[in-house]
Parts: sequence; structure tokens; C-alpha cells
Amino acid sequence: MSTPRPLPVPDEVSRPYWAAAARHTLVVARCSRCASFVLPPGQTCPHCHSVDPRFRFEPVSGTGTVRSWTVVRQAFLPGFGAEVPFVLVDVELTEQSELRMIGRLLDGPAAALRLGDRVTVAFEDVAPGVSIPAFTLGAPV
Amino acid sequence: MSGRLGASNQVALVGYAHSVVQRHAAAPLGVVTLDTARRAIADAGLRTDQIDGFVTAPLFPTAGAHAVEDGVSTVSATWLADNLGVRPRYAAGFQGIGQMPGAVAMAVNAIAAGAADYVVLHRAMHNPPGRYHGNPMASAGGSLQWTAPQGYFGPLSMIALPYNEYIQRYGASREAMAAVLVEARKNGARLPWSYWHGRPLSAEEYLAEPMISDPICRYDCDIPVDGVATFVLTSARRAADLPHRPVYVSGYATSAPATRRLPLHWPLDDIMSVGQETTRRLWESAGVGPTEVDLPQLYDGFSPFVYFWLETLGLCPPGEAHRFVLDGGIDSDSPKGLPVLSGGGALGNGRMHGVPQMLECYLQLAGRAGDRQRTATIGVACQSSPHFGGAVVYSAEQF
Ligand SMILES: [Zn+2]
Repeated sequence: MSTPRPLPVPDEVSRPYWAAAARHTLVVARCSRCASFVLPPGQTCPHCHSVDPRFRFEPVSGTGTVRSWTVVRQAFLPGFGAEVPFVLVDVELTEQSELRMIGRLLDGPAAALRLGDRVTVAFEDVAPGVSIPAFTLGAPV
Repeated sequence: MSGRLGASNQVALVGYAHSVVQRHAAAPLGVVTLDTARRAIADAGLRTDQIDGFVTAPLFPTAGAHAVEDGVSTVSATWLADNLGVRPRYAAGFQGIGQMPGAVAMAVNAIAAGAADYVVLHRAMHNPPGRYHGNPMASAGGSLQWTAPQGYFGPLSMIALPYNEYIQRYGASREAMAAVLVEARKNGARLPWSYWHGRPLSAEEYLAEPMISDPICRYDCDIPVDGVATFVLTSARRAADLPHRPVYVSGYATSAPATRRLPLHWPLDDIMSVGQETTRRLWESAGVGPTEVDLPQLYDGFSPFVYFWLETLGLCPPGEAHRFVLDGGIDSDSPKGLPVLSGGGALGNGRMHGVPQMLECYLQLAGRAGDRQRTATIGVACQSSPHFGGAVVYSAEQF
């Protein structure tokens, strides 16, 4: 059996994110004060600087555009040795300017990419009850 | 309110010592540090009992699972003072990124405030045995939960994303970055202390190297090393009585906090916008601008930083750095080239963080560069990313 990938450890703040991911739904923390999406959620809201942002996780479309990418050819973490080469994309989500997340692109290392390409969220089931958000090229099916 | 540093040109570098840079030193890091500190103090014409301030930046910059042990993998200011047998009035470490500019700022502030008269500033870099960045983590909690589960980890992917964003946006070629590597290694090959002494790199060798995290290959990264540098600082008034020509600290800036992002996520626009704010404050602090600088020493721990600093410092227009370097703009042997890597940088010395940049400013402006001596008056020593590091302006003259 191959070495497992590092699994996320949900905490007080992130628990709803990982619970939604397990259902293959992408949710993003939203500030209760100014309604901005925030990734990653921290102690404060980086937009309105509230110290009591009471982040709520809301489903998003899961669509976005490619702002950059890299092809990882050498694994620095356990569990990725058999995965290399793989593509990581830097995605700006549709919901808010500069709301960016990084995920694997599941179309394979030979996928032809350009800045601004459309992507849609997908999920990798890595352990029972644990799914990791990733992306595929194109609009939602 | 002026942005000019109140102590501009009132504190000076007055001596230095530098160890050889090697993959693994025979002696423990603490012992190498003690040796360079003693040599630097003597070089400045001082005795150990005159040193009353110690400053460093103790970061041990690996993503791997290596133990941090004072005197072995890092050397703190208090460790050095204790082991030199000195009880300093002031001993402190800079905790942020941009370690050399941060530590220089602390030393300048301490001297200007009268907290110390003679400060020893050192940087001790360690290359641990085993894989430098490999990490056996089984789970990812805290901030890493947002990136490690999908395999985004470590500084190679960190720099690959903004570099690819730059390449795609501006059409930069790999041949352009080859010119950066050739220049860094050409100059590093001339330095007796460098890990790359006598070993220049050709553009063909660079272009033939396979990718690790596209568009980053091994040669785009500085090589981890054991190495120590020590500098001595004092007030300009005291410096006048010491043997070497003083090099004055004209100003400094540490990068403003960047936009909140995922761990190690450095979008190109963050680097450029926050970086331009960093350099604006740098010029205000020093009271000079980019056209007055004749020795800009750019940080190159990853090669794309050379582009980012060229553009944020205003040495070439945004998006043009790749053409600038391809056209010979950074050839330090050419009369029309800017000597941005004349000190070899990190790519030409080894992973000494901001040391090569600061050392080249010191050696050239103090007139101590020997065969490599250039005509230069105002230097800049940069470190890390423009949005996540810092820079110092040095001058051969008070103004
Ligand atoms: Zn808010």
C-alpha cells in the first residue's frame, strides 16, 4: 500500500469547509459584517478588519479562472510520489475579485493551459469521509 | 512628516569577516560563527570587550522536519555573546523575513538610540543532513490544511506560480533567465569564499536542466550551504577613528504586510504592488532615488526575484526585466550594464540569504573589493521578495 497523502485536520473554524467538501460541495468563509469572502479565514476579516467576523461558510459556484499554474515534478510531501508530475492551478473564483485558491488540476500534466482559462471545482476522495477540492478545465457539466 | 530615516548616514559598517561557503562545514555552526565574529571585530580595529551589542536574524529556512538547535542549526545573538564571553547591553534577533535588512535596521536603531556603541551583526546559515525541504507530515492542521492536502507545499511551487504568471503575462523566455544565472555564476566563480568558486555556468547548461516545478529548475534555486558572515557597526562619529573607510546606512525598508493569502501563495500582483510600496519607503528613508544608485544588489535566492526587484526598484519598467537582462542590462563587465549581481548573489555564492548583497555593498563602497573594485557610491542590498522582505541603502559618503 502506498503512503497516504497528508489529511486535513479540521478545526473550530474550518470544520464546515471540510464537512461540505466531503459532500463534494465547495464552500467559502464569508464575513458576517461586510459579506466578503475570505480564504483562508483567520481571527479577523482582512476586508473590513472586524475582530468578530463570525465567518459563515456559503456554497459557491466552484467556477473560476486560471491565474497561474505549475507542474510539480518532485514530491516534497508523502503520498505524492506516485502522483508526479501533476499540475497545480492558482484559481480566481468567480464570486469575488482576487478570491484565489490553489488546487490540483485533474486533467493531467499535458493539459494545455493559458491565463484566464475557465475551470470548475472537482473533488478527490482521499480517505473515507475526506475529499479535497481540486479543479478540472471547462465549465460545469 | 518626512519619511527620511532620522539616523540616515549616522551609523556605519566598519568591518567584516566571512567564512568559506560550503555544503557541510567540518566545524559546528557555532564554532564557525565564533571564528568569524572574532575576525570581524579585529578587522574593525576593535577588541571583543568593546562590543556591547549583538544582532542577528536566526531563521533556519527549511520546510523540512529538521530540529532547530542554537549553536548547531542556528546561532542566536545571545548564544554568540555568551560564547564570546561578553555581557552586552543589547542583544536581539530579527524575526521577520528580509533577515539582513531587518537585522541591520535593529543594529542602526540600537546605535542611534545609544543602546549600544559597537554592534556585531551576524548571519549563520546551516545546511542540515538529509533532504532540505522534504517533510514527512501525515496530517495538515492550522494554515497548512488549506494547501498541503492538495500537494501545494514548499518554496519551489511558491516561486513557480508568480514566475509562470510573469512568463505568461509578459512573454518572458527561458533564455532571458539563463542570462541571470550566467551573470550570477560568473561573478560567484570569481569569489574565493563562494561555493561556486571557479565554477561558472553556461546558458546551455541552464537550458538543458530539467524542471522541478515548472518553470523552476534546480539552477533557479540557491544551493543550501553552511556559511557565516559577520559585520561590525558603530556610529559615524566613532567610525572616523577606526582603520577602514566607513560605509554609511542611508535608509532601510521592510516590506509592508501583504494581502492575506494561503500559506506561500505569492501572486505576482501582490509582489509588485506591495513591493512598489516597499521601495517607495526605501527611497524616502534614504533620501535618494533609483537613478542615484550605482550598486543595486538584488536578491536572487530564487532567480525570478531578480526580475521582481529590477521592476519594483524602478531600474526598468514593469514587465520589461526579462528583455532588460537579455539585452545585457545586468552584465557587470559591461560599462552600460547595471552591476545587480556583481557580488554573485545567492545563486553565485550559495544560500547565504541577504549576505552576498550586503557584503558586496560593503566591499565596494569601502574600497575593499580588491581586483573586483568598481567605482560606486550608493548601493542597495535587497532580500527576499519585494513584498515580503526588505532592503537597505548604503553610501560611501554622508549626505
Ligand atoms: Zn469583513
